[in-house]
Amino acid sequence: MKAITISRQMGSLGCETAHAVAECLGYRVLWREVINQAALRARTPEVALATIDELDLLGLRPPLKEIHAYHQAVRELMHELAASGNVILVGRAGQVILRGVPGVLHVRLYAPFEIRVERIAKRNNVSTETARAQVETSDEARRRYLRRYYHVRWDDPELYDLMINTAHLSGPEAAAIICAAVIDAKKISVKPAPTSESASCEP
Amino acid sequence: MNNEAVKDSNETTRPGPDQEKARPVFVHPIEAIFARILDFYGVAWEYEPRTFPLEWDAQGNVTVAFTPDFYLPQQNLYIELTTLRPKLTLKKNRKMKRIKELYPEINIKIYKRRELRNMMLRFGLVEEAEKIFGTEAQNWDE
Repeated sequence: MKAITISRQMGSLGCETAHAVAECLGYRVLWREVINQAALRARTPEVALATIDELDLLGLRPPLKEIHAYHQAVRELMHELAASGNVILVGRAGQVILRGVPGVLHVRLYAPFEIRVERIAKRNNVSTETARAQVETSDEARRRYLRRYYHVRWDDPELYDLMINTAHLSGPEAAAIICAAVIDAKKISVKPAPTSESASCEP
Repeated sequence: MNNEAVKDSNETTRPGPDQEKARPVFVHPIEAIFARILDFYGVAWEYEPRTFPLEWDAQGNVTVAFTPDFYLPQQNLYIELTTLRPKLTLKKNRKMKRIKELYPEINIKIYKRRELRNMMLRFGLVEEAEKIFGTEAQNWDE
């Protein structure tokens, strides 16, 4: 695999998992860099800040023209980064932009809402109520981003090669599954089963 | 969203270089709040790092200058916060127009009074917003 995209929910251990995968495979994790580089390229710094401001604390509303320019730059940058190889692209609709590009594994990390709330409350040292508000706002922002700019459903399984529920996994454990998928795909040659009626899993 | 929401987060925070340094003394409380939001998102910032000369006298001495409140190096963006009432912002608007003429390569985002007030209200800082945006605040900002 030359690239891995990771789509994650807030509190689904996305950052920990991405960095553990990077450590295992010797890849680079690119997250905020994609936003900043695309914005620099499109000369739309306010869009970068608005994108980072996922909880809408800063209330930025950049012009539509700038938003379009930024998204064009994101698409170009994503393709360039994937082509350069050995990268893990976190967020920014990588699963859509690089859909169908050979050698790119699309991973989705998710977990039940209440588990994510607990994780965020603990990690950020905030009340459960605040964590719930953060997770809800983040979910809505990420869902809206995919729908508005890429016309897809965030949780559509067809966008992903691998979907991992991290409810009962740590970041490194989730990373091990991803690494196994990448490494085993290289090492193991699985032969197709002999064709017979008994080999069918469909009715 | 209440103020508790802007505590540091491992999920979203990747400390920028300035977060390792001692906090500067902010001129106005709204600047401290703004810095906390940037910290929450892991956005690196610098406080008043550069002054832009805008006018000079016959001897070449700078007579008018402008120092934006924040610079975000990763986004290459200057931020200016103003709590002045719109009718008192004439001088500042003139400076902003001039800075764009003299330094077209720089990017500046101005947060105006209403935007800042809304930002504070989103944190649940209702009383603090009244203090900051009251009559006394009009003496600040120059």
